Amino acid sequence: MDYMIVGFQDVLNPTTLFWVTAGVTLGYVLGALPGLGKATGVAVAIPMTFYLDPTAALGMLIGIAKGSGAGSAVSAILLNTPGEPSSAPTALDGYPLARQGKAQKALKMGLYASVIGDLLSTLVLIMLAAPLARYALLIGPVELCAILLFSLTFIGGLSGSSMTKGMIAAAFGVFFATIGMETETFVPRLSFGLLELDDGLSLVPLAIGMLAVAEMIVQAGNIKALDHESAQIVDGAAREDRIITRDEWRRSIPAILRGTVIGSIVGILPGLGASVGSFISYGATRKASKTPEKFGTGMIEGVAAAESADNAVVPSSLIPLFALGIPGSVIAAILIAAFILHGLTPGPLMFVQQPRLVAGVYASMICASFIMLAIGYFGQRLFALVIRLPLRHIIPGVLLLCSIGAYMDTNSVFSIYVMLAFAVIGFFARKLDFSFVTFLIGFVIGPTLELTFRQSLQLLDHRTVNLVHHPIAAAFILLTLLTVVWLGRGNGRRVGMAPAVAAVPGLDTTPGDTTEIKRED
Amino acid sequence: MTKLTRRSALGATLALALGCAGMCAPAAMAQEGYPDKPITMLVGYGAGGQTDLVARAAARAMSAQLGQPINVVNKPGVGGAVAARELGQAAPDGYTILFNSNALINLAPFLMQNAYFSPDEFDYAGMITAFQLALAAPKDAPFDDIAGYVEWAGKNPGSSFAALAPEARLYINEIMKKTGIKVNIVPVQSGSEVINTLLGGQVMLAYSGGIHYRYPDQIKTIAPTTTFRHPSAPEVPTIEEQGFPLGMDTRTTVILPKGTPQAIIDKLSAALEACRTDPDFKKITDSADIPIQYFDAAAARQEMESSTAKNKAIMQAAGVIAK
Repeated sequence: MDYMIVGFQDVLNPTTLFWVTAGVTLGYVLGALPGLGKATGVAVAIPMTFYLDPTAALGMLIGIAKGSGAGSAVSAILLNTPGEPSSAPTALDGYPLARQGKAQKALKMGLYASVIGDLLSTLVLIMLAAPLARYALLIGPVELCAILLFSLTFIGGLSGSSMTKGMIAAAFGVFFATIGMETETFVPRLSFGLLELDDGLSLVPLAIGMLAVAEMIVQAGNIKALDHESAQIVDGAAREDRIITRDEWRRSIPAILRGTVIGSIVGILPGLGASVGSFISYGATRKASKTPEKFGTGMIEGVAAAESADNAVVPSSLIPLFALGIPGSVIAAILIAAFILHGLTPGPLMFVQQPRLVAGVYASMICASFIMLAIGYFGQRLFALVIRLPLRHIIPGVLLLCSIGAYMDTNSVFSIYVMLAFAVIGFFARKLDFSFVTFLIGFVIGPTLELTFRQSLQLLDHRTVNLVHHPIAAAFILLTLLTVVWLGRGNGRRVGMAPAVAAVPGLDTTPGDTTEIKRED
Repeated sequence: MTKLTRRSALGATLALALGCAGMCAPAAMAQEGYPDKPITMLVGYGAGGQTDLVARAAARAMSAQLGQPINVVNKPGVGGAVAARELGQAAPDGYTILFNSNALINLAPFLMQNAYFSPDEFDYAGMITAFQLALAAPKDAPFDDIAGYVEWAGKNPGSSFAALAPEARLYINEIMKKTGIKVNIVPVQSGSEVINTLLGGQVMLAYSGGIHYRYPDQIKTIAPTTTFRHPSAPEVPTIEEQGFPLGMDTRTTVILPKGTPQAIIDKLSAALEACRTDPDFKKITDSADIPIQYFDAAAARQEMESSTAKNKAIMQAAGVIAK
């Protein structure tokens, strides 16, 4: 604790604060730009930090990672183009809110949820790094496989009108995830001889195509809705459309806390990542809501759930790194290099050898949370102006941004083709009411599920009996079975009655798209 | 119509003449003034990986020598094959270079059925770092070499081996073939997964790209799978010294399009050599336990050809490729 005070003294000086602020600002902007994310930002910034002192350097790099988590919500809400894939669920309710003239409200909630999720997760990191990390090692591939299997049951809650359609979409997501090199024989699957497909489809162009480009096409094809919405945006001047009301806070706080817990856990577990965290959190909040059918039409809790989880992942993914020296995420893996470069070898010994530097890093992380709040708060006023532009002027700009974002992912035109192909798929998914949310979940979870399943087969020596040595995995498998039975019985019918909303965000104001779907039976 | 045609014909002729002047005349001059504009360095991996960081450090050190900026462009895909294909289409003028592991040319073509590159398809400005590839085990494992591991695995059937890359399967398959032990091969996809499975006790042996040297208190090296002993663990005999002639070396290499003028190759080679003494470059490689082993252009070509031939022979003997 004494060290924490020294740590804050090390951080609260103009130079260090300047670099942390620079990092958060850079991250915020990179996060808002589709295709550029934290990994790129941190990687490119590492050489820039050579000449800074360690606290400022590490504070700046972590600041980039944190800032981009919050920044990605901005483009998700305003343009339906998630700045990072992990903000895709934010767009589901954030964008409809923006179209209703409540952009500022959604942006504020996105920011507050981000900051709260980030700050609480940072505190979890500081308090629990050492004790929690011991459990992280208990989660091997077998346990991870069972946990992922369980998380797939959230598809039931996210399918929208028809569970069957939701599952079909999810299956397609898993199918597209199988493209690329097979992990055991290294034979490329479904690559049609294209070298670009050997490593599989990249999530960034795929998500941009399905979410943003498809949405823009739908919007562009609907001039009536355009005019209708432009008229609505004028109404957005009302004060309650710009602020978050007491009632909305009451509904959102549980979602934020749930998101923080889910995000923190996902961050600690190896190999899952922020996208899995935000999707699971969104699904869980929808499931817990009394009005799940309204999700996708502009529910403020949806934004809160997705953003809090998205941002909680970053600090907690440093827990295994700090406590054991094991990277729990891509960003942690990149940060290892930076830490070692600045004389801090991640691992249990660093608390003994460099307590002051560790405290400085912790203090700069806490400062970064507050700086993020300030930058977001003032930055949003600027960003929110975008929404005042008529949509017909926005669409070309967004399409340009989308293309740049897709291109930046791999620096090749092929990514733009991928984006366009999935824009077509996304367009028909919207028109035919297949949930692209479950598609994306299938796509995100599919590869890890396959890998961990193959790993489990080997680790269990090809014998199911050996599962008794993995009680955590066994418990999750049981839980999965129970959930499936429960969904199959009562819940499925309730979902079946709900109107088709989740699959068509942003467009439900037009009558043709929100027709009640007939009950399946 | 005619007027238009004539005008455009004139324009075309003019453009052709200009283009020719632009292409032919400075071709000889370019070597004198090289480099007089920024150089593009392709990197065959995504931003943030270990080799990407080394490439960025090398780009900084080299651009200080050459007096022109070197822009790093990440072209991830199939271990650098996507970037190498693009390099093959670039003009051999020294303004497009590729920083990549040479496994792309001397190893991958024998193990994966995709783009095939042979050493003759490119020129080389040099090599700068070596990968400390090795078989590694948890520190508390009851064995210290391959013989010990074989004995342990014989007594403990059903144990697992973490395989990061296709060559990892080759190593364990060869060991199994020679000794008759049976081990499950667990596929892993990243260096951090290798570490996780070793520290979590899920596997007792793993193939590592060198990242395990960062965990000297938890992980030990059983056998370097290179032909040389590792600077990070000079006391551990290589896999060849332990009776398995399977040493395969890979190194970060500056690869150039075929036909690059010798004067330009020499300039790049000299610039690359400056990395050896560059303090920032050393800082990056030291922090990741990457040994600097510089090869100049001639030595790099020689190493490329001999290592490719050696690896091919190993694959043929193992039955991975047809003779």
